[in-house]
Amino acid sequence: MRFLVRSWEYRHPQVWVRVRIACGIFNVALGVLLIASFPQLGALAWLAAVPLAGAALIFWTVSRLQQDSVRRVRELEQSRASVVDDSAARLRQIERDLHDGAQAQMVAVAMKLGLAREKLSGAVDGAAPADLERVLELVDAAHRSAKQAITELRDLARGIHPAVLDHGLGAAFRTLAARSEVPVELAVDLPVRPSAAIETIAYFCAAELLTNVAKHSGAQHATLEAVEEAGVLRVRVSDDGSGGARREERGGLAGLADRVRTVDGKLQVSSPPDGPTVVTVELPCQA
Amino acid sequence: MPGLSELGVPMRIVIAEDSAVVRAGLAEILADRGHDVVAAVGNAEDLRAAVDEHQPDAAVVDVRMPPSYTDEGLRAAITIRRDHPATGVLVFSQYIETRYAADLLGAASGGGAAGVGYLLKDRVADVAEFVAALSRVAAGGTALDPEVVTQLMGASRRTDGLGTLTARERDVLGLMAEGRSNGAIAAILVISERAVEKHISNIFSKLGLAPSDADHRRVLAVLRYLES
Repeated sequence: MRFLVRSWEYRHPQVWVRVRIACGIFNVALGVLLIASFPQLGALAWLAAVPLAGAALIFWTVSRLQQDSVRRVRELEQSRASVVDDSAARLRQIERDLHDGAQAQMVAVAMKLGLAREKLSGAVDGAAPADLERVLELVDAAHRSAKQAITELRDLARGIHPAVLDHGLGAAFRTLAARSEVPVELAVDLPVRPSAAIETIAYFCAAELLTNVAKHSGAQHATLEAVEEAGVLRVRVSDDGSGGARREERGGLAGLADRVRTVDGKLQVSSPPDGPTVVTVELPCQA
Repeated sequence: MPGLSELGVPMRIVIAEDSAVVRAGLAEILADRGHDVVAAVGNAEDLRAAVDEHQPDAAVVDVRMPPSYTDEGLRAAITIRRDHPATGVLVFSQYIETRYAADLLGAASGGGAAGVGYLLKDRVADVAEFVAALSRVAAGGTALDPEVVTQLMGASRRTDGLGTLTARERDVLGLMAEGRSNGAIAAILVISERAVEKHISNIFSKLGLAPSDADHRRVLAVLRYLES
């Protein structure tokens, strides 16, 4: 139905609905007038069928547009709700990762350094003999924990916004491919950069799909393609693994599909029982 | 400030903390001080079982543990307070929720004499302070994080009463609410114990509270005052 609505109509939708209704009423009036002039016009009055049919078409269009917009509002409400859920879940996950990861590591670092400091200050005061080996052991352990915390923070930061995305999807996909445990063949053809939001969604989709390949498919080889055609960014991840991937309720693929839908995108899965698995994500380049 | 440990009495302790690094670190600190860590567990159910089995002097309990990672540690702490009055419970977490402190202390005032504490996890870094707080709790005292006390005093509607206190009396009130003994307060503020006693009797009369010698009971009196 969207082909019946021109883009300029979105700017003044009510005006155009009124224009349509006015045209419809005019056609009905014309038809009635023609029928009423049957005595004068004779057989020509059959021409009344033309404006009446036109009116019917116009009113049908108006009602379809109405239904269409109601459906569209419902879709947008659903996708907005899933965006809100998705971002709340992501924030919770980030908080959990921080709490269990870097924060806990830093508590451990502080504990070990606290103990080491006490031992050293006890030795300086002369209250206790210096057990330098023990102090070294504590400082060593604290040092290891601090380094681990740094790694965890870096991974977490990358999960929130991968810095490499600033250089475009091509660079980001190269990094993803290089990091993948399964060898990935890369084919990227993007003459124009999609908007930042689209790039981010495309990146997280590709990252999750490649993780799935490594985790579940048992594949020897995967490909990651990204092309732009007529304003649509198509990202495709395929592998030669065991297949049988499904979009389960609350599963990883369903989560991706939800995220993709928030920008009117599509996610298609083709994964017969013996493979290969091909997942295609289509996103509008600008959103 | 001498606690049980500094007096040379080793405590028997159960640790419940889901993060393996923090659990190991705690066990290390406590063992280093000569205490006996009889069990170190990662969830609330194991904690209850361990306390039933070992009847420890104190339990150190993380608020957030599996499976739901919300407040199962706190709930376990409250049941331990009820079922094992001889076990002091020191709850610690990465954020301070004054409501949790109220829940814990409420359970304590109903249950009897055993100690209770609520500290920010960061406090573990000051090993001596942390172990002293744990000893206090094991001996039936109270250890409230300064952050909890600050929040309670900040949120208290009793500004009239609090406004009549001098700056020094407010300091003493804060330390008292943390559960410190007169001796400890005197050492921290570098004043004599006599002066502390005088400040405390002034505070109690200005706030209209019945004087109480037992550290734990006066903490409750102060907190009830701040919360009401």
